[in-house]
Amino acid sequence: MITWSEQYEIGIPVIDRQHQRIVDYINQLESENQQSPDPEKITEILNLLMDYTLSHFEFEEALMEEARYEELEEHQLSHKTFTGQIELLHQRFTNGENIAELLGQVLLEWLLQHIREDDASYAPAVRKHILGESDESLSNWTNKAMQRYFRH
Amino acid sequence: MAIKWTSELELGIPVIDSQHQRIVEYINTVAHAQKAKSNKEVFDVLDELVDYTLSHFAFEENLMEEAGYPFTNAHKKVHRLFARRVSNFQKRAKTGEDITVELLHVLRAWLINHIKCDDRDYADAVKANLVEATKRTKARKGSWFNRLFG
Repeated sequence: MITWSEQYEIGIPVIDRQHQRIVDYINQLESENQQSPDPEKITEILNLLMDYTLSHFEFEEALMEEARYEELEEHQLSHKTFTGQIELLHQRFTNGENIAELLGQVLLEWLLQHIREDDASYAPAVRKHILGESDESLSNWTNKAMQRYFRH
Repeated sequence: MAIKWTSELELGIPVIDSQHQRIVEYINTVAHAQKAKSNKEVFDVLDELVDYTLSHFAFEENLMEEAGYPFTNAHKKVHRLFARRVSNFQKRAKTGEDITVELLHVLRAWLINHIKCDDRDYADAVKANLVEATKRTKARKGSWFNRLFG
């Protein structure tokens, strides 16, 4: 179980929210597994996790491509590994295995390390190419848009 | 189990909310077809669902673009990914495979994530832009009105 904190943020709010959501799904799975597991509920969370992770990776890869980030291919490969791990979990769960331990230790650790190391490395390219170079752009784009529209 | 439309699923942009509500109805029709074990009904509703969802995506992308949302391209890619996933289901269904249970899981998960996560990302930008557009229209009307009757 992990509590989301600033230390996991890479400084692109839209991506930080997506990471937080994935961590949240993994937490939900873990807590469901630790109580009296309801197979239907676990299947539902696994489906949500799988679906969201696929969308998030696609989103992230699109940003990297747009920002002409050089290590896109390596990143895509590690995304595939993670998706594969979730698929494997799904399979093991369907076969009746208790996956709680695996979730807490492997999935979460892998994800957090991925956020800290891999994702942090593409953040500067995205900020530069997509959000503009100024320091201002590091802040939430929505806030800036709101300021543009509502001057008072 | 049918999806019930609740205010929790609302984004606060009425035109988008009613489109999402329509997608929920389509997914519930797939669930009904699965219970009734009617493959024909599944094929038909799946075609309609794909058609409607693609129009919905195009509509959303247009709103994002107009609002100058910087992640429009990334959102488009996510939309295309979903279209590919559903089209794979359609292909499998046409070879006679029974895909309805798996498809329903995917559709439900996608809808919840699409509304609660993806769309929340752009909602503020689009809302702000809509408010601004309405103000501009009103201002234009105001000046026209003033010229004639002022």
